[in-house]
Amino acid sequence: MAGVVKRVPIAAQTQLKDLLREHFLRLDAAARDASRRVAWCTSVGPCEILTALGFEVFFPENHGALLGAKKISQDLIPRAVAAGYCAESCSYLTSDVGSALAGRSPLFELYGIPGPPKPDLLVYSTNQCREVQDWWNFYARRDGTPVLGVCPPAHLGEVTPDHVKFVRGRLQSLIDEIESRFRLRMDDEKLREVVALSSRASRLWHEVLDTARSRPAPLTFFDGVIHMAPVILLRGSREAVHYYQILLAELERRIRNGVPAVPDERHRIYWEGMPIWPKLRELSEKFFELSAVVAASTYCNSWAFEEYDGGDPLWWMAKTGTEIFINRDENWKQSFLMEMFERFSIDGVIFHNARTCPNNTNSRFGMPQRLREQAGIPALVIDGDLSDPRFFSTAQTMTNIEAFIEQLEGVPR
Amino acid sequence: MSGSLYLGIDVGSSATKCVILGGDGVLVGHHVIASGFDFKESAETALARALLMADGDRADVAGCVATGYGRQNVAGADRRLTEITCHARGAREWYPQVRNIIDIGGQDTKVIRLAEDGRMLDYRMNAKCAAGTGTFLEATAVKLRVSPAELDELAMRSMGKTVMNSYCTVFTGTEVIERIRDGERREDICMGLYRSIARRVSEMLSVRDGVVGATGGVVAHSRAMVRALEEVFETEVLLPPMPQHAGAYGAALLAIESVSRERSVRADAARG
Repeated sequence: MAGVVKRVPIAAQTQLKDLLREHFLRLDAAARDASRRVAWCTSVGPCEILTALGFEVFFPENHGALLGAKKISQDLIPRAVAAGYCAESCSYLTSDVGSALAGRSPLFELYGIPGPPKPDLLVYSTNQCREVQDWWNFYARRDGTPVLGVCPPAHLGEVTPDHVKFVRGRLQSLIDEIESRFRLRMDDEKLREVVALSSRASRLWHEVLDTARSRPAPLTFFDGVIHMAPVILLRGSREAVHYYQILLAELERRIRNGVPAVPDERHRIYWEGMPIWPKLRELSEKFFELSAVVAASTYCNSWAFEEYDGGDPLWWMAKTGTEIFINRDENWKQSFLMEMFERFSIDGVIFHNARTCPNNTNSRFGMPQRLREQAGIPALVIDGDLSDPRFFSTAQTMTNIEAFIEQLEGVPR
Repeated sequence: MSGSLYLGIDVGSSATKCVILGGDGVLVGHHVIASGFDFKESAETALARALLMADGDRADVAGCVATGYGRQNVAGADRRLTEITCHARGAREWYPQVRNIIDIGGQDTKVIRLAEDGRMLDYRMNAKCAAGTGTFLEATAVKLRVSPAELDELAMRSMGKTVMNSYCTVFTGTEVIERIRDGERREDICMGLYRSIARRVSEMLSVRDGVVGATGGVVAHSRAMVRALEEVFETEVLLPPMPQHAGAYGAALLAIESVSRERSVRADAARG
């Protein structure tokens, strides 16, 4: 019985913990040092520019996820709601704003730092959603921190050179504005180097995710959402590249030695949409118990960019930042999903209908039904949320997932 | 286990149902009891009473499948399956021609689509909300100070076309008060409640072809619910002989199939 078999943990996790600790301590030290600067940036935002200009970069979406994963978001969201943020707006935003209002952060327990490092600059790209502007503006209004951003064209089918040219222009303007405000000068060679490292880590991350094409898969979506931290938080660093070299080697060893993420793997599931951070462990255990591996996801794949060819680094940033899944139209998304199902030999897809994240929920306009009809892939939609557990029913969701696996198994006649 | 009785125990949010079948699939015992606070105890009680009816005891039990929200609380079950699978199995046994099963329970509503060979093609469960469930009716009946049976009686006397506009149990309560204030007939208001559930259910059934059957406690006790479903789906809705027991019945059938499969595997192994 799979339920009594122990999971073999991924050994690289120890290095990951050390890496993250160093990252947060470095950020905290930078925030306390008047000679250093901290910028906040959206997760698929133009962080390479900030790194090349010498900023230490903090990613508040990670903080929002952490607040959910540590199960304190539901205590903090009411603070943001009382301050005028709708309870159904992005729960990363409401939990983080609530955290700022309450002065409470899991970073204290985890790393002994009081909370997110105080920013000198807030930078966003709306390539994932427009809510980030309102989120950053909370801090801009409260603390007078400058906020700058890029708004790429959204919901694109094909990404044309004109689109990329436009976004490249916005990135150049962003650099000009930062240079002027902070009296800095961009070193083009440095930017090339950071972008090359960013691309290298991203390609290695892609290879890491691709190991799950093996049967049995050596890692699951639930491992992925943990191990993706460096490709987000440490993008453009040598540490991230080094970490993914280690992780990839370990996963390749697992494949060679037949070490599965889920013993007796019987079903291969695709996860579409945001993770449900407060319920990650329960969900992971449920799939494990059902001998089902969540082999691939759109979410983890969102940081697997194309290779940088050594040319114009801003062109690469503009292109990769505009091409991401969440910024595409419904037809493009559907084709992408169908390719992923094929690539990872998927038996069924689970859509997470995230109550506070309509922009990263793809079950609202008939996609599950179309995939069922056109790709023959059974689809399940579960209701929940990325960080607000009040929108999630454990009993109902677990029954839904079990019934989905029973459907895949064909029980009963 | 070497006996000749097969158990299906469905521990739902409102009621616990137990069905006992003989090896030939004939129903020999059944019982339904409120689930209450202690699911384990209600399962035990339902089982003890069903065994009494079947004139059997625990030593006669050859296999047991537990289902429903409290399925993990049933001691000694050989298998635990979701109520979706079990309702599908039970309803199909009673009505092989059924292709769409609407199960309206206390806590949730499911719509299950079956292939011709009985395979589950697809299913949908209501969102995390009481709208469209038995709880919605119970809560509104309390508000109107009538019993669920009286609510059904009143609704069946309605000649009107009232439909509630709200999905939410709380907002429906407000809407009921508004309609009372506006002088609407209470029979029509009551029927409107059932129609609002039926509408909610209709959102869960994307393909409208094939025979429709209904199971669960709500349709077992409410003619108005069946009437509303028939209105909304514009077709006859089949009711099995024991709609509330469909999950437990399906579970007991699956217990027979499970044991029979294991026996044939063992027999094959013995033959080498």
